[in-house]
Amino acid sequence: MLISISASDARPIYVQIMDEVRRARVLGTIEPDDPLPSVRQLATELRVNPNTVQQAYRELEREGIVFVRRGQGTFIADSSVNGAQRRLLARGVAERALVDAHRNGVGLDELIAMLHEVAAGQSPPTTNPEKPI
Amino acid sequence: MSSILPTRLGEDPLAITTRSLNKRYGKIAALIDVDLQVPEGAVYVLVGPNGAGKTTLLKILLDLVRADSGEAEVFGLSSRSDGPAVRARIGYVPEGAGWGYGWMRVGRVLEHHSTYYPTWDTEYAERLANAFDLGMDQKVGKLSKGEARRVHLVMALAHRPPVLLLDEPTDGLDPVMRDETLGLLADHLAETGATMLISTHLVHETERLADHIGVIRGGELQAQLNVDDLRRGLRRYRAEVPTGWTGSPTLNGSVLRRQNASNEIQWTIWGDEGDVLAQLKGSGATVREAAAVSLEDAALAMLSRKE
Repeated sequence: MLISISASDARPIYVQIMDEVRRARVLGTIEPDDPLPSVRQLATELRVNPNTVQQAYRELEREGIVFVRRGQGTFIADSSVNGAQRRLLARGVAERALVDAHRNGVGLDELIAMLHEVAAGQSPPTTNPEKPI
Repeated sequence: MSSILPTRLGEDPLAITTRSLNKRYGKIAALIDVDLQVPEGAVYVLVGPNGAGKTTLLKILLDLVRADSGEAEVFGLSSRSDGPAVRARIGYVPEGAGWGYGWMRVGRVLEHHSTYYPTWDTEYAERLANAFDLGMDQKVGKLSKGEARRVHLVMALAHRPPVLLLDEPTDGLDPVMRDETLGLLADHLAETGATMLISTHLVHETERLADHIGVIRGGELQAQLNVDDLRRGLRRYRAEVPTGWTGSPTLNGSVLRRQNASNEIQWTIWGDEGDVLAQLKGSGATVREAAAVSLEDAALAMLSRKE
């Protein structure tokens, strides 16, 4: 599976790794019993501290998204896809949008109305518009 | 001088400790009462401008330079009285190239170096040299700055020491080699769990590896803390403020960096977010954002603070 993180993202790296696994599960690019990369492999690939990967995997295990098979590694759990994971992902997106709106003095109703307006004219919305606001 | 950020860790066990370390070069104080604390297994990034005392501190740990007063210990061994035992436990990447034997070829230098370390792993040394794209037949005196740095990295890592002291390890490396180096350091950490003390003025490069940060300026250690604590406690607040707003008396002592416009401020403040927000609000500010600060920006805020 592909795990990608960004230095400019406000989320801590371990949260970004967790969200990437959640995202892959919700999108269906990984299935139950699929292995995650080893801690060493992913730390080397992402150039991050191995303890950060360890922390992400530990939290994912606690949430029941992955399980550890002794001596074999970390795997996606059967119960890993459900409404709760979708909700968590959606919640994160909403929180980030709200923070951005508040920073710009945009209220909740204004934000929701604008979301509908923008979505109606853009399909699928894969790129941020480059034109000045 | 007061320090806004913590300078003591309170974590155990420590791999590297110094107590009240002082060093002068003539009239210049290179280190003033430095109490360095590097926990076992930590990746500790020591940040500071050029000439802040970083290299001197590393050299004192290796007993290549002697302090005027104070103690330096690595795994409980005194750098001064147990120099050889301390150096045997350390992999060191020095600041400059400074080969005393420029006529030697890379392969010969590595072979020579390996004889000092019983734990030298020839296979690992070869793997590293390959990853670093080093030719064994190159003469070390003819190496570029970046190539010399890579040879030093192989020499430091290949005996898998419990402690690595890396003085500007990516200095002179091109972007691809820098990226490769960070990957090899992450791999090395995962495999060995070594303690790393990295001195640098390029914080963003080691941002993803670091779990502790020390900020040194003018020979003084002005901050020393866990990166998680830094992340939690340091925020950049952006707010609209009434004309003539001057902050609040209880808050102003914790401000690391002030950027002001007529009716808007962006302040980097150390403290519990809830408390800071309440104080800003109480003084008439409308807070728009309380953003986490990158390690790079945190270091910049600490280093650019006016005394």
